[in-house]
Amino acid sequence: MKKIVVFVLGPDRTGIIAAVSKTLFDQGCNLEDVSQTILQTEFVGIFIASMADEGNEDEVLSALRARIGSLGLFVHLRPVEELPAAGGQTGEPFVITTVGADRPGLMAGVTEVLARYGANITSLKAVSRGEENQHDYVMIFEADIPSAVNLSAFRSALCGRAEELGLDISLQHREIFEELNRV
Amino acid sequence: MLTEREIIATLDMLRNENLDVRTVTLGVSLFDCASDDAGRFIDHVRAKISRLAANFVDVCDEVGLRYGIPVVNKRISVSPIAVAACAASPEEMVAIAAALDDLARGLRIDFIGGFGALVEKGFTRGDRALIESLPEALAKTGRVCSSINVATTRAGINMDAVSLMGRTIKRAAELTADRDGLGCAKLVVFANIPQDVPFMAGAYLGVGEPDAVINIGVSGPGVVKKAIDRARAANPGLDLGQLSEIIKRTAFKVTRVGELIGRQVAKKLDIPFGVADLSLAPTPNVGDSVGEIFQSLGLKSIGNPGSTAVLAMLNDAVKKGGIFASSHVGGLSGAFIPVSEDLNIAEAARKGHLSLEKLEAMTSVCSVGLDMVALPGDTSAATISGIIADEMAIGVINSKATAARLIPVPGKKAGERASFGGLLGEATIMNAPDDGGSDGFISLGGRIPAPVQSFKN
Repeated sequence: MKKIVVFVLGPDRTGIIAAVSKTLFDQGCNLEDVSQTILQTEFVGIFIASMADEGNEDEVLSALRARIGSLGLFVHLRPVEELPAAGGQTGEPFVITTVGADRPGLMAGVTEVLARYGANITSLKAVSRGEENQHDYVMIFEADIPSAVNLSAFRSALCGRAEELGLDISLQHREIFEELNRV
Repeated sequence: MLTEREIIATLDMLRNENLDVRTVTLGVSLFDCASDDAGRFIDHVRAKISRLAANFVDVCDEVGLRYGIPVVNKRISVSPIAVAACAASPEEMVAIAAALDDLARGLRIDFIGGFGALVEKGFTRGDRALIESLPEALAKTGRVCSSINVATTRAGINMDAVSLMGRTIKRAAELTADRDGLGCAKLVVFANIPQDVPFMAGAYLGVGEPDAVINIGVSGPGVVKKAIDRARAANPGLDLGQLSEIIKRTAFKVTRVGELIGRQVAKKLDIPFGVADLSLAPTPNVGDSVGEIFQSLGLKSIGNPGSTAVLAMLNDAVKKGGIFASSHVGGLSGAFIPVSEDLNIAEAARKGHLSLEKLEAMTSVCSVGLDMVALPGDTSAATISGIIADEMAIGVINSKATAARLIPVPGKKAGERASFGGLLGEATIMNAPDDGGSDGFISLGGRIPAPVQSFKN
């Protein structure tokens, strides 16, 4: 068996997942992992599927294009390389939250510091705070911070950047949110 | 993956509701420091506490930073000194208190508790020496706290000790007259004192406790008040059953935070984790008041009729939520109503909404007792003993901890203000009936027998 990954992007509408999964099924693929998200009007889906070694990826791609291309969706497909298990670097999950007035450059400014310290973002959400504080823009990063990173140096770098950007920032180990909110 | 609601709600609790860990208290047994020579005892104590607590404050700060939850107070509780240093004279007891004070200062510990005695059935030589030394010891030190247990449900009330404590409190106030009787703010008289209290002034490490242990006190009342306010704003139709559910859930959250931090500190110090004390402990800061919770639950002020019922519900809901959140609950676990340490309660006392008598009634359902109550300076020792005896009776009959931390403020009268500084806050002096009416009763002495535990009516 070999693995393929399919990316589907385009304006959201009903039936996208149904069309993609039916096509993959018809092509003899078995879905393993699927993730989809919608931002405002735009849909993105990632499908990882396995198929027989003798199967043809190009045929699968053509079938997908024929089925959903007319819906205005972009499709990309490539084989998945089996990577050796990640070794060496270990990290701990932290949550970084910023609150402040929205302006261009916030995401770039904060993530530059994360990248510089080798913190890998595993989940990211940016939301408007809602009725009470309409101008507050909240960014929530979940990131794995390598154990070798000096936490106080990282914290001061983050705080320094947040101050430049006019943001209120916090860095907390993920465990606290789990303890507080989950039984 | 965490949800954004979970993350934002947690941040709100931290930023706007004073969510914190009120105290991490390192308990240190001093029984292996015992010596018939007070100097040697002090040397042993210094060596042991310095060894165990060398990194204590730094570790608490580091863990607090990691989770973004401040550990407000770092404290030490020790074995009752009257037991550990039983052979010491009163003068030597003062020297021991001074040594503990120095240690606390050097280790950046804000209070060290356990300069106390357990005398519910009678006095040893060490108990007498320690109590005799208290006024001077409390005047000469800034960080040493004392608790004297004078009653238990199993032993009854040692009225000789109650009488002695009335006189001791008067003397402690006189020796700190220039500071509004501050010595008495560090001295608490208990019934049924738990062995693992992490909160001051009552903290000490009981005789059944391990060599060293980490106990924690959970966050304060600000979080509970805001949770009630938010719930009522969203749904004005909530009744008391539903509101107690809100309190329970909030207590669950603050206890989880405390337990997590406590366990991490314990792990880093390689010391066992003991208990979480589920007490709502106020501070003299706006938004961190137990009194304000009474207003959030519909009373104009703490002290109005209905206050005892509110306190009973609050206490019970906090316990129910906290017990589910923690594997080991201990200490006092309930709501504190310290008059001077809570802005709102101090204000209610000033305006006359809260009398000493109503406060005493409320202590029958709360976890501590008459706490940080400023009395007129000319209140007699016998009257103070009478107030203590009443408070002890509430604890003994109800099989619960109660305590009295009373401060007869030298040179001041009812209605005047007393200021104790910092966390101890300030309060209006309450009126205490003092016409010599308790003298005869207190002079009888002896022991009030232990109460029967059945036929509860």
